[in-house]
Amino acid sequence: MTREKETTLYLGPQHPGITGNMMVKLKVAGDEIVKAETHVGYLHRAFEKLMEARTWMQSFPIVCRICVPEPDPNEENFARAVEEIEGREVPERAQYIRVLVLELARLASFGLWFGGQSGSAGLYTMPQWTVGDRDYILDLFEELTGGRVYHMYIWPGGVRKDLPEGFTDRVLKTLDYLESRLPAIDNLMFDNAVFQKRAQGVGYIDPKMAREWGVVGPPLRACGFKNDVRIDEPYEIYDKLNFEVPTETGGDVWARALVRRREYDQSISIIRQVIEKMPGGEYYNKVPNPLTWTIPRGDAYVKTESVRGEFGYYVVSDGSTKPRRVHVRGPAYVHAVSLLERILVGANIADVSFIMNSLGTCPPEIER
Amino acid sequence: MNDIKQELLAEQTFADQIQKTFKTAGVRVIRKRRIEVVMRADLIPPYLTHAKNQHNFEHLSHISCVDWLEEGHFELVYILWSYTMEMQLIVKCRIPRHTPQFTSIQNIWEHAGTYEREIHEMYGITFAGNDNLGDFLLEDWEGPPPMRRDFDTVKYSEENFKDRMDARQDAQNVRETITKRSGEDMPDFAKPYSLR
Repeated sequence: MTREKETTLYLGPQHPGITGNMMVKLKVAGDEIVKAETHVGYLHRAFEKLMEARTWMQSFPIVCRICVPEPDPNEENFARAVEEIEGREVPERAQYIRVLVLELARLASFGLWFGGQSGSAGLYTMPQWTVGDRDYILDLFEELTGGRVYHMYIWPGGVRKDLPEGFTDRVLKTLDYLESRLPAIDNLMFDNAVFQKRAQGVGYIDPKMAREWGVVGPPLRACGFKNDVRIDEPYEIYDKLNFEVPTETGGDVWARALVRRREYDQSISIIRQVIEKMPGGEYYNKVPNPLTWTIPRGDAYVKTESVRGEFGYYVVSDGSTKPRRVHVRGPAYVHAVSLLERILVGANIADVSFIMNSLGTCPPEIER
Repeated sequence: MNDIKQELLAEQTFADQIQKTFKTAGVRVIRKRRIEVVMRADLIPPYLTHAKNQHNFEHLSHISCVDWLEEGHFELVYILWSYTMEMQLIVKCRIPRHTPQFTSIQNIWEHAGTYEREIHEMYGITFAGNDNLGDFLLEDWEGPPPMRRDFDTVKYSEENFKDRMDARQDAQNVRETITKRSGEDMPDFAKPYSLR
């Protein structure tokens, strides 16, 4: 067989399937990918540098803007890192409210993922449904925090406001609604022969290599590893909740989709438990005057389990009123660069955005 | 007090073990599941290999860099996680600011190369052994490494983007323009604070 001529193809920076701008430079022979190279740099906003020139409290509204689909892990990480360095206690009620917000954010982010994953397979009904359903969660966020996408709600010391009256009832009602939609979603996406055939055996990650490559979150769990930051290193009140960590063994897009689908159920269950166990009391351990508030010299690495996997913050204080260094570790930093470049080799051009979505590619968190 | 000691027993045992093998290292248990190891820079690659192979610290979470300008060095921070021991190991070393060179650990973890690319771009540190230290986030950037503490962002933009800064100052106030055009008074809440 004669070897087909190789062509260079630039996919992106704007294309469907992922949230943000990123380009993949592909070398293709026919429609098969021979080499892939990730190019980023379309979204760099220098948040980490900005924070070095702002006080601790002024940095807090910046961090949520680092990730569009799921901003809350950023806020929680930043707050927890500052609290850890300073040794500040957080009231128990605030911890419950934080978990409530984090899990609602997971559901909202899953909504975008359902849409993106099916949309990149050509099932365009799904984005209409799930992005629409996500709006009901954003309504809850708007009521709680004043913001729909960026909440600026979880801050050092606790949360910014207590839950409004009757809020938990409205959350439960929304959960009932979201749950009632799941059979239709399953029918359209997971029982769909087109989706199954597109997803099975595509974007395979070798379980033997998964941990060494730094794979986290659903892609790791789809390789058969039961690792979740909420279990491995419980933060806030996750050790008081009962939930499962779903795993699959396929290692392909299909396995990752199944893991995410089952995690959706777990998040709903977690929110119900949180509401049931929610204690009363204070929601905020007030910090001193934010303009003169200093954090003792020290550093901390904290992490949360976001929808895409381990989301970490390395924060360093030099004892002044401003952070010395805030460094964000997003899961996409590994997934969308070194891992993607590797697993795209041998894939079909039509599967690129499909695979990118299944890895949870989110360019804003690569660039910060 | 005894409870606290009991709780950190696994961490303390492991810390003692590191101290025994690497005598010059400064080992400290920060809290449960967190151990900090401060080392001489030349010991970092062998130590990381040791931690990965002997103690199952197989997940490299993060590589960070902190600029201690006043003290004259960069601090490189390697953050590892062990799935079997469930511990986070924070390995630190310092390299002088005037010779920003270090060894790459890409041969230990493939994805470390991406972190090194960014540190090279943002702090100007070169990593021997990483042959892919080209443009990453800052394509076509010609200024000094921007995350260094002595990089003055305001001065840099004043020098390089003077034309754009002027344009900003004569930008019109939309509220004023609209109220003038409609001939109405601007309500109090819409006025700038100084005019209320």
